Amino acid sequence: MSDGSVQASPFRRGGWLLLALPLWVFLYAVNHAVSEWIAFRLLGLTPKSHLGEAVAFLFYDTPKVLLLLTLVVFIVTFIQTFVNPTRVRDALSKRRPGLGNALASLFGIVTPFCSCSAVPLFIGFLRAGVPLGVTFSFLVAAPMINEVALGMLFAMFGWKIAALYAGTGLAIAFTSGLILGQLKMERHLEGWVQDALKGPSLGELEEETPTLPARIELSVQGVKEIVGKVWPYILAGIAVGAFIHGYVPESFMAGLLGKNHWYSVPLAVLIGVPLYSNAAGVMPIVEALLGKGAALGSTLAFMMAVIGLSLPETIILSKVMRPRLIATFVSVVALGILLVGYLFNAIL
Amino acid sequence: MLIEVFGPGCMKCQTMEKHAKEAVAQSGGEHQVVKISDYAAMVARGVLSTPALALDGQLKFQGRVASADEILALLKG
Repeated sequence: MSDGSVQASPFRRGGWLLLALPLWVFLYAVNHAVSEWIAFRLLGLTPKSHLGEAVAFLFYDTPKVLLLLTLVVFIVTFIQTFVNPTRVRDALSKRRPGLGNALASLFGIVTPFCSCSAVPLFIGFLRAGVPLGVTFSFLVAAPMINEVALGMLFAMFGWKIAALYAGTGLAIAFTSGLILGQLKMERHLEGWVQDALKGPSLGELEEETPTLPARIELSVQGVKEIVGKVWPYILAGIAVGAFIHGYVPESFMAGLLGKNHWYSVPLAVLIGVPLYSNAAGVMPIVEALLGKGAALGSTLAFMMAVIGLSLPETIILSKVMRPRLIATFVSVVALGILLVGYLFNAIL
Repeated sequence: MLIEVFGPGCMKCQTMEKHAKEAVAQSGGEHQVVKISDYAAMVARGVLSTPALALDGQLKFQGRVASADEILALLKG
């Protein structure tokens, strides 16, 4: 048995964290003033000019998004140390449709998940007797309601938009899993998966509960790892956001992604799917789109398409599912996103 | 001892394999590191999330990158 703990000196970490928090608050507080100073004083750009506004957005949003991301990832990783896939699988095994789908969608939000784990997780769930439809609810919820995106939405746009995102994502995951379960598509799994499902189960990992310092250490590692990995996506997102913010006229966005056009939601989804970005990288674009009068429904649809329906993930899943199952999976989720977009454009 | 590293080849899995090799080098013992990237083989061993690491057929880490020190501690057991 491993001791499961991470070697760390808790006291040094604790001291470092106590210092980090006031520093974080200070940086966040002065960020706006500093960004304006850089853009309008240091670089001498004219306020309200296209270039001036774009550059100010760039210098304001980069530190802001990175600061928020650091905090959000820390909190999310800390919460995730309480959840592990083995426990989730056991909780979902042999659940009936309905309750099973609801639980799977909820677990999908908090379970640590990376798309390269999608295949083993998928089969591992099926092997343990989790129904296919319930597994799908999990598989839809896990990438679509990204826990970091949820935290970032809450931090940047308030609890209402965050709740809308989580609520509609849950509804899509629940319903699409329920539908896919009813379609009885087990025979559309690739042959080797069906063989793997029949094999004998082997020894399981005994996971120990980590101590508090170990949880903190894991959270710090999570911040380093995730922020270290996604910053290029964030910079790309901010560059696009800055361009939209400075140069795209409000009437143009309101026209293209406004609520009064039937095509705005499908357009948002079509633009979103091939864009492979990270949840955090989309935020500056979402911010700029909303600022320029894009409708909330269209913007949410865009964001869900980018995060939840990514091409790379679909390619990975094609290793286990035959084309017909993949196509059904993608269509059901896309349909759900469209409905959400229309719904919010209609009621808000 | 036999160290098996499970992972389809993403960044994290490569880091895990690197850490395992570092741990073996530091331990100075006779240990073998095997990388398993085939999904069927992974699933057959009950791996739910990657990267994962097994020692002599027993799963030890799953879903995160273990540090070289952690793996070394396992080898010294």
